[in-house]
Amino acid sequence: MGVFALREAKVKRKTFVARGDLLERLSRVAEERGCSLYALVNEIFEMFLMAEEANVNFRSVLEDYVAVKRARDSGFVLELESLCYEMADMAYERARDKAVRSWFEAGVWFAKRYTSGLGGDILWEDFKRDLGVILWNTQELEVKRDGDKVLLRVMSPRFTGAYTVLLASFFEGCLSALGYKIDVREVFKGRILLEAIKAD
Amino acid sequence: MKSGKKLVYVSEDVLEPITEICRRDGVTISRFIEDALKEAIRLRNLGYDLKRSVDFLEVIRMHRVLGGAFIPQAVLDFMVGRVYGSDREGLLKQSFEAGRLYGRYMRERFKDPVNTLKSFLEVSRWDLGEVEVSSEGDVWSVRCISTVLSAEGTEMLAKFIEGAVRGLGYEILQLDFIRGMITVEFKR
Repeated sequence: MGVFALREAKVKRKTFVARGDLLERLSRVAEERGCSLYALVNEIFEMFLMAEEANVNFRSVLEDYVAVKRARDSGFVLELESLCYEMADMAYERARDKAVRSWFEAGVWFAKRYTSGLGGDILWEDFKRDLGVILWNTQELEVKRDGDKVLLRVMSPRFTGAYTVLLASFFEGCLSALGYKIDVREVFKGRILLEAIKAD
Repeated sequence: MKSGKKLVYVSEDVLEPITEICRRDGVTISRFIEDALKEAIRLRNLGYDLKRSVDFLEVIRMHRVLGGAFIPQAVLDFMVGRVYGSDREGLLKQSFEAGRLYGRYMRERFKDPVNTLKSFLEVSRWDLGEVEVSSEGDVWSVRCISTVLSAEGTEMLAKFIEGAVRGLGYEILQLDFIRGMITVEFKR
């Protein structure tokens, strides 16, 4: 564990003691970048201070970065929420069956990556985690498994009626890809409840 | 593995506010320093540029606050294709208004809102291969290039950028777009 020690070595510089392995790795980074370790370490702390000034948690950069990268790798894009609702409403009105099909197929494609576990097992934790990322704009998301049954519940008062129906179709595609068939389906504006059982 | 300790210099300018933060949060400076160095290494291992970290976080927070949603690309393409022909004006109006909201937010929250707009486009729009911002005198220029954007997508993004620039408080001098390329010139 690092031990903090203050000793004035130069004007406007102070020394501190930290873990050697961390500093060694950063030394290599500094060398790659063509700067000194002093410059790099100060840059790191300046980033933290900037985050502090902006009232954001720098540590959550890592989590958010990984999450956004996962969404991107899953074939998702970040779009204006209001535009998504507007387009969903219009697409649903103009071409209901094709819109539903489009979302269903997207769900199938999304969920297929979670069926590649060892022995054909479903990677449930990864599936739940990534659903949580792409549905960051929902108030409530629950995915619960109980034996051969799965419950999926989503709630968001911001969803329009059409968007709710289309998103439910996306989830149905997911569950279908994971080998489940829908047993109970309750879909109302802003609320989705799906109960599914393992298909034979 | 036992980690040895090493000495490293830190600018006093940086260390003093860190000391204040630690005092406020009730953590030791050694803990703060170690955590900061570890996080920086993790970000680096992910291939993420440290300098962009704060930009990235602020853009993501902006989306969370103002309303960004993930949507499958295939679904978005389908919906735009279905809706654009019959309600182009409505979609463009929505894009413009959303842009204006984001632009206004950037103007109020950030010291350098024009470059914040650049960061926003770079972080949010994975379909853009290049986002360039430059200035000459008091005239700014933004250029976006994409090899995958459709004609409809280009027009919608151009409208969003137009709205954002207006929200930033600038006057549009010129706005041009063709499929995959958008250029905007503006000034106060």
